[in-house]
Amino acid sequence: MNRLASTRWHVVSLLRCFVVTFNSSASSGESVCFDCLSSEDRFPQRQSRNDTSFFLFRWLVVSLLLLNGCGGYIQRMVTRSLERIGEPVESAPMMISTPVLDNPPLAISWVGHATVLVQIRDKVFITDPLFTDYIGMVVKRYVGPGLDPSLLPRIDFTLISHIHMDHFSFGSLDMLPKNGTLVIPQGLLRYTPDFGFRGLKELKPWESIEEDGVRVTAVPVQHFSGRYGIDNAWLGQKGYTGYVFEYAGTTVFVGGDTGYHPELFKEIGRRFPIDVALLPIAPGSLTNLGGRVHVGPLGALTIMQDLGAAYMVPMHHRTMFYGSDSNPTQAIESLRSLAAQMGLSDRIIDLDIGEQRVLRLNSEGLPAGLP
Amino acid sequence: MKKFFLSLVLAGFVSQAAAQTETSEERFGVWFPFQLLPNLSLYSSSPLSGFGFEWEFTPVLYTFGMNKQISPWYAFIVEPTARFTGSIELVVAGQLFTTKMGRSYFAASGHLMGTIPLVERGEHLTLNLGIGAYRIADQTRIFKVAGISTLFGMVHFNLKHGENPTTWIISLEFRIF
Repeated sequence: MNRLASTRWHVVSLLRCFVVTFNSSASSGESVCFDCLSSEDRFPQRQSRNDTSFFLFRWLVVSLLLLNGCGGYIQRMVTRSLERIGEPVESAPMMISTPVLDNPPLAISWVGHATVLVQIRDKVFITDPLFTDYIGMVVKRYVGPGLDPSLLPRIDFTLISHIHMDHFSFGSLDMLPKNGTLVIPQGLLRYTPDFGFRGLKELKPWESIEEDGVRVTAVPVQHFSGRYGIDNAWLGQKGYTGYVFEYAGTTVFVGGDTGYHPELFKEIGRRFPIDVALLPIAPGSLTNLGGRVHVGPLGALTIMQDLGAAYMVPMHHRTMFYGSDSNPTQAIESLRSLAAQMGLSDRIIDLDIGEQRVLRLNSEGLPAGLP
Repeated sequence: MKKFFLSLVLAGFVSQAAAQTETSEERFGVWFPFQLLPNLSLYSSSPLSGFGFEWEFTPVLYTFGMNKQISPWYAFIVEPTARFTGSIELVVAGQLFTTKMGRSYFAASGHLMGTIPLVERGEHLTLNLGIGAYRIADQTRIFKVAGISTLFGMVHFNLKHGENPTTWIISLEFRIF
């Protein structure tokens, strides 16, 4: 190829990336202008988007992400999303039709990613609500949410685990009913618009709020902070947390996004009798406990054991590309296999996206097993 | 004109007292080097046109889109959320314009800018409107400003228009806090 043609190809590719990336309404995935220019005659050297065409845009994105203190896994999420521009988001395999039930002992619904709807009796909790197709403008989800947020009559507590855009989504929070309390980790007040929730509470590690018989406690986990680049440098350990919420004798742990720590989760387990742990299982190693800020399936199972949790709900997988997965279901398949080897299968509440499960209680009013 | 800029800076220091108290030396040490990165601008003013660099600071910003548990006043270090959820700010800037003839001009400006959130509370897209005064070559010119911001309030594309003579300045600005 001659140099001029090569240069033109890179320039046009870059323009195409910008055009289609920042035009979220593009349904065909091909901008008209680019189609005019992209005939094979003009660009005979055109190969897959993976190789040449996205090189420049990747370089820009990587530069931004490095500035943002993010690792390579987010870069891969972004580039994988760019390759899927124009493709429709896959519908959730199931849809929750009645999100709020009539006084269930404990109902758990996985909406997708880290969004879990939990109902204990008359109280409704939602974690890290994410209903948008795009996260942070450029990361695209594989599978849509398993719940239409307009079906929610009320949410008593909306729990935000951390500052990152896949867990603290402004567009998604705008879709929720505002008749409850929005709970955020220390450091997020200066990032929280006026959404109009009835209550807004920022919690430091181990700090609790109590409302109407519900106690929500922020508990430390191991992740990282920063939303807009350099703020990661001064937020430090602010901006991320886990939660434990207790109501009517039932205790639920929310992991949010976390790496493994050998003491942290044992300490939480000593302080709270955890019935159910909502734990991320990706992105992270499939063969060891995971990295500093994320766990894989083995790390999540180890956290469940450290917490002494009776059950675990795996989440933070399948919904989008998680970097270390070669296919979207690899993490959950690995979890099933590992849980079987460790004799923990009957303690895994393995929900599909959009699936709702009601747990029955034993004679003491505690969750007694899977239905 | 000097009094105008002096009062802007003074307003910044005064508002600092009413603004957030989280600011620390570490925060400033990280923030400040990024402010030294210039914005890029193209200008067209008959008979000259050229290229320019611009360094912007916000002595004071009032946000009306944030939660009510924090002060709406910010000075210098401004969380992007405070700006793009809806705000009015004073912006002071220094510019270095170069012409095709190789001459350079220094300029200083002060703007009153309003930011209106359009998509995802402004995190994805905002509309910017403002008015400002430029001091260049011993003349003071009034400019009207309009533009958009995207990518979490970090990338701003603004068009500035002044009369007598008619001048257009197109600027691509990167604000990191």
